[in-house]
Amino acid sequence: MPPTPTSAPQAGQEQQQPQQAPQQISQDGLQPAGQYRPNLSQAPQGDFMRPTARTRARSRSANGVGVQVEDTRICVVMVGLPARGKSLIAQKVVRYLGWLSITAKCFNVGSYRRTNTPQPSASFFDFTNKEGERLRKAAAEAAVTDMIKWFKSPNNIIAILDATNSTKSRRRWIKDRCDSEGIETLFVESKCDDEDLIMANIKEVKTTSPDYQGQDPEEAAKDFRERIRMYERVYETLDEDEEDMTYCKIIDVGSQVIVNRIQDYLQSRVVYYLMNLHIKPRSIWISRHGESMYNLSGQIGGDADLSARGQQYAKMLPELVSKSAGDRPLTVWTSTLKRTAQTAKYLPYEKLSWKALDELDSGVCDGLTYAEIEKEYPQDFKARDADKYNYRYLGGESYRDVVIRLEPIIMELERSENILIVTHQAVLRCIYAYFMGTQQEQSPWMEVPLHTLIRLTPRAYMTEEERYRADVPAVSTWREKGSKAVHAEGTPAGTPDLRGMVK
Amino acid sequence: MDTLLTADVAASSANFRRRSSTYVDAIHDLPEKESMAPAQLYSTESGRLFHSGRIVIATVGLPARGKTHISVALARYLRWLGVKTHIFHLGDYRRSYIGEQGEVPEDYFFVNASAPTVLLRNKILKKCREDIMHFLDHENGQIAIYDAVNPLATGRRALAKEFEKQNVQTLYIESHCTDEKIIEENVRSVKISSPDYQGWQPEDAVQDYLKRINARIPHFETMEESELHYAKMVNAGQRVIVNNCAFGYLSQRIVFYLLNLHIKSRQTYFCRAGTTREEDSYKADASLSAEGQDYAHKMGDALLAHRESERRNLIQHGAPETTALKPLTIWTSTRRRTVETSEYLAGLGYRVRQRSQMSQLNPGVCEKMSERRIRAMFPEEVAKHEQDPYHHRYPRAESYHDLAVRLEPIILELEREQNDLLIIAHESVLRVLYGYLMACSATDIPNLQFPRDEIIEIIPASYNNSATRIHIQGLAPMMVPGSPEDIRIPVPPSAMGSGAVSPMSGLGTPAGAGNMTPETRDGAGGLPLRKQALGPPSVSVSVDAKAQT
Repeated sequence: MPPTPTSAPQAGQEQQQPQQAPQQISQDGLQPAGQYRPNLSQAPQGDFMRPTARTRARSRSANGVGVQVEDTRICVVMVGLPARGKSLIAQKVVRYLGWLSITAKCFNVGSYRRTNTPQPSASFFDFTNKEGERLRKAAAEAAVTDMIKWFKSPNNIIAILDATNSTKSRRRWIKDRCDSEGIETLFVESKCDDEDLIMANIKEVKTTSPDYQGQDPEEAAKDFRERIRMYERVYETLDEDEEDMTYCKIIDVGSQVIVNRIQDYLQSRVVYYLMNLHIKPRSIWISRHGESMYNLSGQIGGDADLSARGQQYAKMLPELVSKSAGDRPLTVWTSTLKRTAQTAKYLPYEKLSWKALDELDSGVCDGLTYAEIEKEYPQDFKARDADKYNYRYLGGESYRDVVIRLEPIIMELERSENILIVTHQAVLRCIYAYFMGTQQEQSPWMEVPLHTLIRLTPRAYMTEEERYRADVPAVSTWREKGSKAVHAEGTPAGTPDLRGMVK
Repeated sequence: MDTLLTADVAASSANFRRRSSTYVDAIHDLPEKESMAPAQLYSTESGRLFHSGRIVIATVGLPARGKTHISVALARYLRWLGVKTHIFHLGDYRRSYIGEQGEVPEDYFFVNASAPTVLLRNKILKKCREDIMHFLDHENGQIAIYDAVNPLATGRRALAKEFEKQNVQTLYIESHCTDEKIIEENVRSVKISSPDYQGWQPEDAVQDYLKRINARIPHFETMEESELHYAKMVNAGQRVIVNNCAFGYLSQRIVFYLLNLHIKSRQTYFCRAGTTREEDSYKADASLSAEGQDYAHKMGDALLAHRESERRNLIQHGAPETTALKPLTIWTSTRRRTVETSEYLAGLGYRVRQRSQMSQLNPGVCEKMSERRIRAMFPEEVAKHEQDPYHHRYPRAESYHDLAVRLEPIILELEREQNDLLIIAHESVLRVLYGYLMACSATDIPNLQFPRDEIIEIIPASYNNSATRIHIQGLAPMMVPGSPEDIRIPVPPSAMGSGAVSPMSGLGTPAGAGNMTPETRDGAGGLPLRKQALGPPSVSVSVDAKAQT
């Protein structure tokens, strides 16, 4: 679960936090210009899209003036035959929402069913099999009950019910259950009749599923194909009878999408995300720029040129990339700052530069070293350590701000195939956090060494990561929480490593 | 006058790219200087964002399906995001060619039109498309919205091909109605106000209008071309079919916006919350004072009286006695004072929703400080703020840009809302919402004025929105301008009404505002919401201007 954001500029919350800055002013009286050093640790954030959940918790006590806050709780109900990528979609949505500070959870009916029937054969899914039918219904019942319980917590906003939900009667039953709890339903159907795509999905995902653990893959695939046939017999696609429902029907992986009766902003936001997804296999390579002159002097921000070693990395990068990517077509994205363009200079691919990929803006601290920041803005320095994700540099940005401006990049990444991104430490951390589902309190502290290429490959149940280190030494810009952080000469980067993967 | 023409307003204007008055929104203006749009996340040298290339959005649909409304709403949203967008209404070109008095040939929309008609048609089309390409090629335009009927599949295929040759993507947006009621209502609210139908019974006028459309555009094919990029909105957005649209960030973003759009028109009212009991701060969530309660009553009464007079007005113009306005919904923030301001109306049975995103701009360290104190204490911050009041943040504070990004869900819900809407919120929130609806530039937004004795009414029209003000009678003069709740963030002297350095904020509120009557319309005698000081930044001039009103 993402941490409780300390951001929403709301009354109750603000009251709880001792606000030092104004007090400090009144004690010191008028200060000469430039002497004022506010505590910025809790700078308010523009809450991007977090709905009204926080007020739900507080409404009765904090402003119990008789008018109820209306808030959104949405159950996203997956619909579709097996091997249509439902679980993949469900997991991606959860990760995306978490990245945007919206609490979401996936309820997989299959895992409920597995507690009673760990490894069923295809005949279990025969709809004439009364016992199988009963057990499957019981699993759905248990999942929905758990989900409703989960929604009692005010921070929980979107649940995803991951099952085939292949009949109209089952869908109607779910809608009725949710309606009676005041939970909105959004049905998401993935409809795909491309045999090749289905078989590829079966091979990739299903034969490694817990249902078939320890079984012969060929046999498993055959059994699974049989299972799908069972479902096909009773499968009913979303149609005119269900006009009253809110649904999104994705046909052949997004070549056509039908969206019916969207009820609110958040639903439209989820649908918007779904429309950007595709399931073609691809990888994303990310790298920081090569060592810059500022890295050498320990300064942050700025728009410095590469150092000699940075140049060396730039020259090695094409070889490093082609070792990993082979002859796949690639597009290179850089920021608009010199050091990323210089790093990408020798790459023989199409290049786009994005302003949104520029480094976190450190405001007044731009061009200073960490030691100077600690000396000139000691309170800020401490405040940043206390809550790095939300800390906003005076006149600059916080990690949360960066996430907001990266949203178009993430959407574009979801739409695209093979991309190589050359960017900066903070931005790379945010993008990495999106793909790896890293928690907000950890992501700003992740170590991302210079002169290292990271390859991320999204798979159905996780994102695979490989790191390739170039044999070019560089300073380490990583600062441990609470430390002074001089940019130290990095030792590990000195080890020759083009031969193998680090991880 | 040709009733088939949607943008009646434009008929009187020779120059489509005219400057708006202060009360008419600026959606058809091309901003003269480049500046960051209200919710723009970054800027580029070319002015084109998101690496999405250039797109022509072409509308498809018979008259009275809300095409112009969709075009304008989309342009509003795209500009707000910072995408350079302009609308090209084919109707404007037709009018300009044929002239005020000219008649559109009867067979203008026929497939087998006569030779001179085809010639005329092609001439008009050519001019419009040339302007589109000029905008995209030479004015750094990124999205051109081509507002036309585009009734035939062959024509649509050819158009897409033509633009593709110029490296421009075409995205079609069809508004398709299977529900006769929606069409009839649209005709009633938009089309039959034309002089042609003066003195007609509304029902007869609607039927006549529909008959004429059907006779004049006998051939229409709904979109089925699976190879084209299109989004088909069925029955005012109840259902949206998106075909082959995943070709760019912006195309998807546009579809996202369409999911929230409907084509029915409704009014939006803005007003401030009442004043609170204590010398108030941002952090204390105080209750209304006695004056604040009084304000809530008077504001509610003024609004209801205004709505009743609107209704009477409709009846006078021939609507049946039973005519009712759209239901009124009220949105407040979750702050006590806005919720309590709505209580009087809630007690009368109006529906109130609290929206947490609508809480005011966080004033940061400026809270509870006089403007003089802020100036003395943070001269550097004040200087930076005056440079760019929209994007600058005081220490610990939010900027207007932060607020705009935070309000995006509200903006989309605003489009989604079907009832008339009263928004009770802090002035900073009203500024941003007004800025969106009226296409204000980022530099104007921090200077918009919302004195407490006025309710601002935004009147939607498919071509452009306009704003009027409803005066609230009988308020104590002291509560009209600044109130303790105000954030005393200094604004640039050029935008300050009365004296550059003032310990009391809110004195920038036009002093003459109290003299306005509810009938004041169209800014004729009214003070513009956008400050006059946007001209030469002379304080004394703007004070003089006020003295005269």
